[in-house]
Amino acid sequence: MTDTSHHQTDSHTGANGDGSTEEFVQQWRNAAYNCFSSGHKFCREVCPVMQVTRNESWTPTAFHANVVAMEKGELEIADIAEDYVNCTGCGACELRCPNTLFTGDFYRFRTRTVDMVKAVRALAVDNDVHQPGWQRWNLLTDERTHEPVLGDTPVSQEHVRDWSAGLDIPIGGETIMFVDCEAAFYRTSVPRAVAQILQLAGYEFGLMNEQWCCGGPAAEMGYLDQSKRFARHNLDDWRANGVKWVLVLDPHDYITFTEDYPKYFGEEYQDIEIVLVVELFAELIREGKLTPSIPIERTITYHDPCRLNKRKGVWREPREILSAIPGLVFNDVDRVTQWSYCSGGGGGLPIEKPELTAKISESRVDKAAELGVDTLVSACPWSERPLTEAGEARSIDVVDIHEILAESLGIEVGGRRGE
Amino acid sequence: MTVAPELAEPVLEELRQVLGSEHVLTSKPARYNRARVPAPFPVHRWAERVPDLVVLPGSTAEVSEVVRIANANRIPIVPRDGGTGLTDGAVPVRRGIVVDVKRMNQIKEIDEVNRTCTVGAGISMLKLNEVLARYGLIYPDDPASYPCSLVGGRIGTSGWSLIGSRYGHSRDLVLSFDFVLPTGRVIHIGDGAGRKLSKSSSGYQLKHLFMGHQGTLGIATEATLKLFPKPEAELSPFFAFDNYDDAYRCVGELARAGVATFAGAVLFDEWKVNYLRRDDEAYIPQPTDVRALVCAVAYGYEDEVIAGGKRFMRIARDNGARYLGDEISEGDWAARHDRYATPLHGRTNAGQVVPMSWHCEDAAINYSNLPQVRLEWHEIIRKLREKFDMFDDWGMFTYTSANTGLDYLTEIDVGIWEQELDDASWAAWVDAKRDIAEVALRNGGSISACHGSCREGEVDLVPQELGGGYDVMLDVKRAIDPNNIMNPGKYGLDRAYESAEG
Amino acid sequence: MSAYRYTEQSEPPAAKQVTDVAIERFEHVFEVDPKLMTAHVAQQVFPNWDTLRIVASRHDHLDWMHRHWADKVISGQQLLDELTE
Repeated sequence: MTDTSHHQTDSHTGANGDGSTEEFVQQWRNAAYNCFSSGHKFCREVCPVMQVTRNESWTPTAFHANVVAMEKGELEIADIAEDYVNCTGCGACELRCPNTLFTGDFYRFRTRTVDMVKAVRALAVDNDVHQPGWQRWNLLTDERTHEPVLGDTPVSQEHVRDWSAGLDIPIGGETIMFVDCEAAFYRTSVPRAVAQILQLAGYEFGLMNEQWCCGGPAAEMGYLDQSKRFARHNLDDWRANGVKWVLVLDPHDYITFTEDYPKYFGEEYQDIEIVLVVELFAELIREGKLTPSIPIERTITYHDPCRLNKRKGVWREPREILSAIPGLVFNDVDRVTQWSYCSGGGGGLPIEKPELTAKISESRVDKAAELGVDTLVSACPWSERPLTEAGEARSIDVVDIHEILAESLGIEVGGRRGE
Repeated sequence: MTVAPELAEPVLEELRQVLGSEHVLTSKPARYNRARVPAPFPVHRWAERVPDLVVLPGSTAEVSEVVRIANANRIPIVPRDGGTGLTDGAVPVRRGIVVDVKRMNQIKEIDEVNRTCTVGAGISMLKLNEVLARYGLIYPDDPASYPCSLVGGRIGTSGWSLIGSRYGHSRDLVLSFDFVLPTGRVIHIGDGAGRKLSKSSSGYQLKHLFMGHQGTLGIATEATLKLFPKPEAELSPFFAFDNYDDAYRCVGELARAGVATFAGAVLFDEWKVNYLRRDDEAYIPQPTDVRALVCAVAYGYEDEVIAGGKRFMRIARDNGARYLGDEISEGDWAARHDRYATPLHGRTNAGQVVPMSWHCEDAAINYSNLPQVRLEWHEIIRKLREKFDMFDDWGMFTYTSANTGLDYLTEIDVGIWEQELDDASWAAWVDAKRDIAEVALRNGGSISACHGSCREGEVDLVPQELGGGYDVMLDVKRAIDPNNIMNPGKYGLDRAYESAEG
Repeated sequence: MSAYRYTEQSEPPAAKQVTDVAIERFEHVFEVDPKLMTAHVAQQVFPNWDTLRIVASRHDHLDWMHRHWADKVISGQQLLDELTE
């Protein structure tokens, strides 16, 4: 057996290096040819952007082909940067690609469209090619240590725990609950539901000492240095306060903590364990520590959040939870069909192209409407804003899985489901 | 922006008026991304195949207007549907305007009584079948690009289907379609005054003429398709053999058995088995005496499939087959609907993994000629690999085309390490392709059962295959496309205009 | 409790040689012998969860594809057994 550790490449590495296209191309050329040379385009009909625009320039195939064209000297970063806005980072393409699905595990070389899109965006930023919405968003995030999710109403450090008013949650401890910007400031009912379910189960936890944005969105939009600064702050805060377990309710945070942070920090990250709340709750139900008993009279379907289902393979636990709630009529759609579903809320798309996010959400809600449901349950706060807006036109209520579980456990959740 | 002079304003402005400016794409990436298909592509000469402009029409009327403008200004048009073709119909060889029809993906009608549906040419069969399943129906056109190829492309290439032995191929399944001629005129192609006949005897039968022309005669925009009940049951047993001859005899007997639910039989030769052993979880652990594989497939009602399936199993057993088990049989077949190839199958002579493009050379061959073609084709690729350590023999498949076992789609898969392509290796490849086509013709076959034959190399032999029919092809082309704007440079059709001038 | 742990994810199980070009780290999951990826294409950093995610997704996808084409799959083994009887 040859030891390969010394020559493994980490294709996660983004740019924000010297911004050199040559370096970028060298890093991504095999990945690019692996797509370009296969020529199959099974990504296309699962891509949420492609499905609503039908524009082949905004497909994973094109995103890879551009890198080959850069290698050939035919295209430059300034030519292509704008096209790479059109990606929600949902991961459908890279999972559906035969180079992942059929042989990715075999070769330990899979399609990484999401990482590549992030790397192109970072290369653009390094070359001073900015998307105006993203530039502003990250500037404000940097100023406020949180994403400007409330639009003109500023978010700030002193308000990051406002959602927990009246819940008597301590600060600190070995186990802390991390709340993403959207849930902390916009859909506060979600963290309130999560916290109260944990309390009901007798689960000890606290809030983070000084929580900043996880840094994931900055990395998604190409502002990698900023992302790393935010990540560094959070990790230092955890370590200084003896945190061992981080409870995460948001799939986007979960990706950041289990993919970006390990890449940023390596061995330094080995003391921290990341717990996905939806998995924890399914376990607690299985163990009889949580028993939803109040019937919820709704006809629902479940929206598999992309980052759980496609990017992490987490789809069973949410269904376990929903199946444990009495009264629900659950018209489920299988996880593979849902590889082509998305809310359009990820990857910074709603910031630059809100009209595309809206179209993607409308398409998702249309699929729910065909099932004759009154409620679409999601498990991702970032999906819930655009889905709720799309749901209004079709009289479909959009509810977070933690909210509905809390309700069945007899918890008065409180907080707001958006503005 | 670098577009041809004839595409400058005001032609651009006229196109924007028709389509809306967001559907007229002039950026470099938009044009580079519509230059290639999975067919052999000289990536080192990519820039020569880039169109001037891309348009994304949303209706037949818009396509017609675009074509009318192009015809008036003598601008080449290249229709592009899925861009998944294995000949280069959708590759712009004279630049011009790529007409990308993917926005036209609506389902216009599902007629449950007559069992038809009418769809835009830009819809994929998989997406269509997700909807049809709710009605208990299926549109069984099943190429290896099933999840992403589009109905319009199936018309333009006259597609071949994996399960065509049961349900027919694209030309049987597409009943009729709206078609934009190179002048911009819209006609309806198909039998009868309506859209939904499968057979008439009235007038010339134009449907076959307007399918498989690789976009040289016009653009299909909307099609009416024949639907079947979604099958209740599927069976796909895979069998192993220790030699090719037994496997060959077995596949012949399976195909000739006349089982009504028979949807296709496949034969994999020793090269293909070796290729599968590289990275396919089903074949890595197989004993070394596995040198050929056969698969037979059936679809239909459960009782019918069971009855026919028993016949398959008996035939296979009597031919010395070893059944590979349910897990491999089911897993392998399910992967056939959507597996082209994975580049990392590529190996250098030293055995190192490299990303290779998959170039699949196909032919239509009668059963009795298959063994000879196989030997000659492998020899062509062996010589090529000897000269250039960037080609790889990925083995051969043979699939039944019909339900009687008379003719087969046979193909040799060749890996090409595109990162290393240069003029010398490309020229050697083109020669090899011509040689491959020559073997097919010498053995009484057709250059292509499935992909089309307008690529460099093989295209030289099309007049030889068609004989006097090729002259008729030239006459038809000139009559329908007087200005040679519709996908010019393909199939040697330029000579239709040389003779007119001469 | 299921959780992401860096060390657990970054150390793959020991490899067993299966053929001269393939190894096995996880049960029934084959991988290329890494010595074949030393000259031109280097392997990626691959946490264990990702390997297992892909394997599980592949099986789910193949099941989906069967359901897409037909309501049920007939067992060839059963037909063969009935033939033998």
